[in-house]
Amino acid sequence: MCFFRRVDIKKAGMLCIVGMAALAMTACRTDNNLIVVENEEKRIVELFSPMEKSEAYVENTARSAADKTVMLAEEKLDVSVGYVTYTAEDYQDKTYDDVTLDRARNDMDDIYLLNPDTLRVLGEEGKLKDLSGLDCVKNLREVVIAANMVDGKLVGIPQEVVAYGLFINKDMFDQYGLALPETPDDFLECCRVFKENGIETPVGANRWWLETFVLAQAYADLYNGGNTEAEIAALNSGESKYSDYMRPGFEFLQEMIDKGYVDAEKALVSEAIEGEGAEFLARKTPIVMAYWGAANTDTAYGSPDFEMQVIGFPSSRGQMPVIPMTGFGVGINAEHGEDALAVLDVMLSDEALQIYAETNRVISPSKNVEVECVPALKPLHDKIHNNVYVLGSNAGMEVEQWGNTCLIVRELLGGASVDECMAQFDRLQEEALEKQR
Amino acid sequence: MLIGCKGEQRINVVGYQSGTEIKMRKKHDESRKDRGISLLVSIILVFLFLAIVVFSVSHKISREMAASATQNLNESLDLIKCTIEAILNKEAEYQRLMAQGIAEMEEPEEYIRKYKRSGTMMKIGLIRSGETEGVCSTGEVFTEEELDFSAGGTIDGLPVSQSYLNYMGTWAYCIKCPVVKDGREIAMLYIEYIYDSFDKSLPEGFYNKKAMLYIMDAETERFVLKPKGMGERSAGHLNLSDFYRANDIQEENLREDVDACLAENKNIMFYHDIRNKDSLNYMWSVNNGTLYLIGYVPIDAIQQEGRSVNQNILIVVAVMLIAFFLCCLIYYLNQRQQIKLRKEREEEREISNRRLAEALQAAQIASNSKTMFLSNMSHDIRTPMNAVLGFTTLLARDAENPDKVREYTKKIMASGQHLLSLINDILDVSKIESGKVVLNVEEFTLNDLVSSVDAIIRPMAAAREQKFYLEVAGIKHESLMGDETRINQILINLLSNAVKYTQTGGSIWLRIIGLKQRSNQFEHLRIEVQDNGYGMTPEYLETIFDAFTRAENSTTNKVQGTGLGMAITKNIIELMGGTIEVTSEVNKGSLFRVDLEFRIPEGQADKLFWEEKGISRILVADGDAGVCENMQALMENVEVEADPAQSLEEVLSLLKACEQAQKGYDVLLLGSNLPETDTLQAVKRIREEAGDALLILILAEHEEAGLENILQTENTGILMKPFFASAFKEKIREMRAEPTQTGEADGKDKNNLEGLYFLAAEDNEINAEILREILLFENARCEIVENGQIAVERFAESKEGEFDAILMDVQMPVMNGYDATRAIRALEREDARTIPIIAMTANAFAEDEREALHAGMNVHLAKPVDIDMLKKVIREYTKRE
Repeated sequence: MCFFRRVDIKKAGMLCIVGMAALAMTACRTDNNLIVVENEEKRIVELFSPMEKSEAYVENTARSAADKTVMLAEEKLDVSVGYVTYTAEDYQDKTYDDVTLDRARNDMDDIYLLNPDTLRVLGEEGKLKDLSGLDCVKNLREVVIAANMVDGKLVGIPQEVVAYGLFINKDMFDQYGLALPETPDDFLECCRVFKENGIETPVGANRWWLETFVLAQAYADLYNGGNTEAEIAALNSGESKYSDYMRPGFEFLQEMIDKGYVDAEKALVSEAIEGEGAEFLARKTPIVMAYWGAANTDTAYGSPDFEMQVIGFPSSRGQMPVIPMTGFGVGINAEHGEDALAVLDVMLSDEALQIYAETNRVISPSKNVEVECVPALKPLHDKIHNNVYVLGSNAGMEVEQWGNTCLIVRELLGGASVDECMAQFDRLQEEALEKQR
Repeated sequence: MLIGCKGEQRINVVGYQSGTEIKMRKKHDESRKDRGISLLVSIILVFLFLAIVVFSVSHKISREMAASATQNLNESLDLIKCTIEAILNKEAEYQRLMAQGIAEMEEPEEYIRKYKRSGTMMKIGLIRSGETEGVCSTGEVFTEEELDFSAGGTIDGLPVSQSYLNYMGTWAYCIKCPVVKDGREIAMLYIEYIYDSFDKSLPEGFYNKKAMLYIMDAETERFVLKPKGMGERSAGHLNLSDFYRANDIQEENLREDVDACLAENKNIMFYHDIRNKDSLNYMWSVNNGTLYLIGYVPIDAIQQEGRSVNQNILIVVAVMLIAFFLCCLIYYLNQRQQIKLRKEREEEREISNRRLAEALQAAQIASNSKTMFLSNMSHDIRTPMNAVLGFTTLLARDAENPDKVREYTKKIMASGQHLLSLINDILDVSKIESGKVVLNVEEFTLNDLVSSVDAIIRPMAAAREQKFYLEVAGIKHESLMGDETRINQILINLLSNAVKYTQTGGSIWLRIIGLKQRSNQFEHLRIEVQDNGYGMTPEYLETIFDAFTRAENSTTNKVQGTGLGMAITKNIIELMGGTIEVTSEVNKGSLFRVDLEFRIPEGQADKLFWEEKGISRILVADGDAGVCENMQALMENVEVEADPAQSLEEVLSLLKACEQAQKGYDVLLLGSNLPETDTLQAVKRIREEAGDALLILILAEHEEAGLENILQTENTGILMKPFFASAFKEKIREMRAEPTQTGEADGKDKNNLEGLYFLAAEDNEINAEILREILLFENARCEIVENGQIAVERFAESKEGEFDAILMDVQMPVMNGYDATRAIRALEREDARTIPIIAMTANAFAEDEREALHAGMNVHLAKPVDIDMLKKVIREYTKRE
């Protein structure tokens, strides 16, 4: 029979002719010679945030998660979010917090990603807008709101509840027959065993996160003893001393330093993860401390070749997660203040937080968002889920905790005695009381 | 002769042309094949060339577009560079003017303290010459300690510090400018600028925001600004080392080359994958190398236009290719259609030529046959005609001699009969060829058929001293439905040919064999006619069934015949739905085999007859077991039990057994061929055993003699082979002395026409005369009229009963016989409807007979009139009246 049906050939022929005609018409279309370019007024919002030193071909899950929410806001609001970043090249550089304070005080940007201490400082200085009017606020957990209230204003909202814990090499603990430590004494015993077995520095540290040991021991009873508000009130009134709470932790750190379980000199000049991360992943150090998200990101401890577990810091009440509240704040004189608030509202909406949590596998500040965590984080997750944790920062305390403790721990690392460190806390408390007066 | 030559020449030429044509066609096909291959190769080459050209053009465009894109990037970077340099130069220029203004001021420190920062200048400071501390716009003491001018960078001749993070948390640089008064440097003016101020003057991204751009402080290699909207979010951002690490630029050689270029203050570009994308990296010197523009752009982004152009080229090429292939396809289909049509036309022409050739050949054969036929007919007709005329002449001469007259008239009669048979055959062929033959299907018995054929052929064979054998086997039904006349004609044709073409003393066989029935309603018969005569050549066998052919050779050319017999036979057989085939060998004989099917009439078995005659059990004895079986089968149909025996002893023992059982046979059919037995003796012995009461019928061959004595014995008769139940029945009826239904013992007397008076309508005077004389001879009278009209009138005028019958010709002038009959029948008189009207016409076909009867005639007689038949018919109808 026929190779092609006649009808098919006709159809194909017609299609070709129509196609060619369309092409010809497209080609022959004459435009007006006058070219008018519209002035596109693009709405811009500037976001200041840190950015870690990146590795080639490595996906930063945490930043990818944040980027997704930013893109969601850009899409929904038709704005462009400009990234302004800063990362200290080394310890001699200004810290991110220093730069953040400078920039916020000089109204350089619209939105800032703030650590707890800067959040509190800027909040107290009145450099941040009150975010309590945003739609997303009604979805937030109470603890999140409480931790970020400064002078009756909600000055910061985080995208994740940042929980700090101990990242331990379970294989090494098993190797030496060690149980996971619950108390400071347990922890010191583990370090002793490791040290005796040739592990030169059982605890890897940097200049930022050693304070978590101190805070866990200092406030384990305060936050879990059922008398939190009264104890905080006593501290704020001067009836109780911060130094009394802090002393056990500092003495614990001092013992660690004295016994060589922590390399104080190295820690003092090390940036987060940069100093201790490589040795932890290389199985030279069995214990480091880091935030929840580090267990998810390839840039930190996302894919170790050993069994890793994340547990709470040792305290009198057992393993204790430390939760400092970071958050996004909006400059009080932000050039694009309204747009910044709108962007933040989208970035912190349930939809965005769901995306964020699913991407980064973290605890969401929204009570409506729950995601499964990675297995390594299970111990830490269970503690938090059972409301067993210590806040690393609390705007309700008159003395800022997170930043000050960090700085005073650095002094300890630098050679100051525990008493000298406690004197610092007393001074800070006095200043706070003076300010109140 | 000349025409013949021309014809031959033409045929030769045609033959030559045919051969040449084939060769030419082959050559043509080969050359077409060669042409096809070369065309294909050409097309491939053209396409190859086209592909190379397209690829080259595309590649060239890509290259040029890439070069152009690189140039564009170069220009864009230059533009950015120039913009930044312009800003720096303006800043320096403004600072100089400011220094000049300050030089004229009486209290410059006051001016400095009151200065409010602008978007560009964040703070200013002044240190008087010879001092290390000065004043600052921000209120604190200003010193140069925190500023690093050691790198020696300048802007428009003014020293510029290394980049540093200022009190606002942003990257800044400081330019210092001497304050000169009266040619003497009185102080140094320091102004801090921030890189962020560049941002507003730079484009809002380039290459659709796919390009990445940083501003790097060359001395510290710190990235001091990423203009907003410039590039992707994932990238090294801190310093050059971070940039290398983030983008996996780890090749030592490359980095050394880049470092060298940076050291020499050169602009550089290099290709390197950035996050798996082929990218063009650039490092562009600004302000004599104090700053660098660092970044990359994916190749895809800069070659977007080139890719688009290439895509468009590909679309155009694809469309052209599609159009080309479409054209090829259309051309191919068209060609195929043309070829198909051409082939069809050629085939048609060939078929037409072949048919023409065949028709020509057939016409030539027909012409030859007819020429030969005419020649034969001329001979065959002239021969008896010569005899007729010759003897007529002799008759006139010897009219006085009654013996001579009788002899001559006898010979004239024979010649006339022969002429008549010739004419009948010719008419038959004519009828068959014109499709006018209609079969007259009626019930007939094989016994009658065989008897009539036997009656005709046996004398013919005997005349040539040939033996004629008749064999019947396997027949289940002997009464069948068919056109007996035509079947008779078939048999007579085949057998008379066998007689004709078999030498004297030869043998001829007629076999009627019952084949396996295909249906209960039809008897399947095979008729075989075999002889051991001259036989036929294979060539002749091919044309034996064609009309106007006749086997002729030195042996048979004396045989008379029309040459139409076999054609007529085959046509009749085919008309009956049968087949005929022939095998023959020269000098050995021929065998014709005819297969026919006949419908079996319903209720044919005459069981009642046998019951009435009290015959329910017979004994059949024959030396041939097949004959016994045949008899058994035929008798089964009438529910008469037949036991077979093949020897006298067997017969006697069966008779004895029956006697003992007191269940005897009613009839014994005794074949004359029992082994080692004399029939007469056998009859005697049987009579001794079974007594005289047993009816014995001897089954005899025709040639057998000496059996007449048997007939003297009581209850003994002779039945001729082959055996048929109907013949058996007739014989029984005859022996039981019943008058037969067809007995015509005294028929001749009854056919006497004496005293009858006829009205005859006949336009031919001779025929009229013959008729009158014949009737006179029979002592009858007739009145002849010339046409039908007169016949009608004459009958109308006649008295009632005047005429005993009307003899009516059909073809007559004025009024034909049919119309005349209708007119007579329509007359209003008593005898108009009863008077016998007998058609006497040369229109001898069956349809003519039907037409005659339809017109109202009583009977139809074909001319020439058989006087005995005429007498019989007239007598029958007049007697009936």
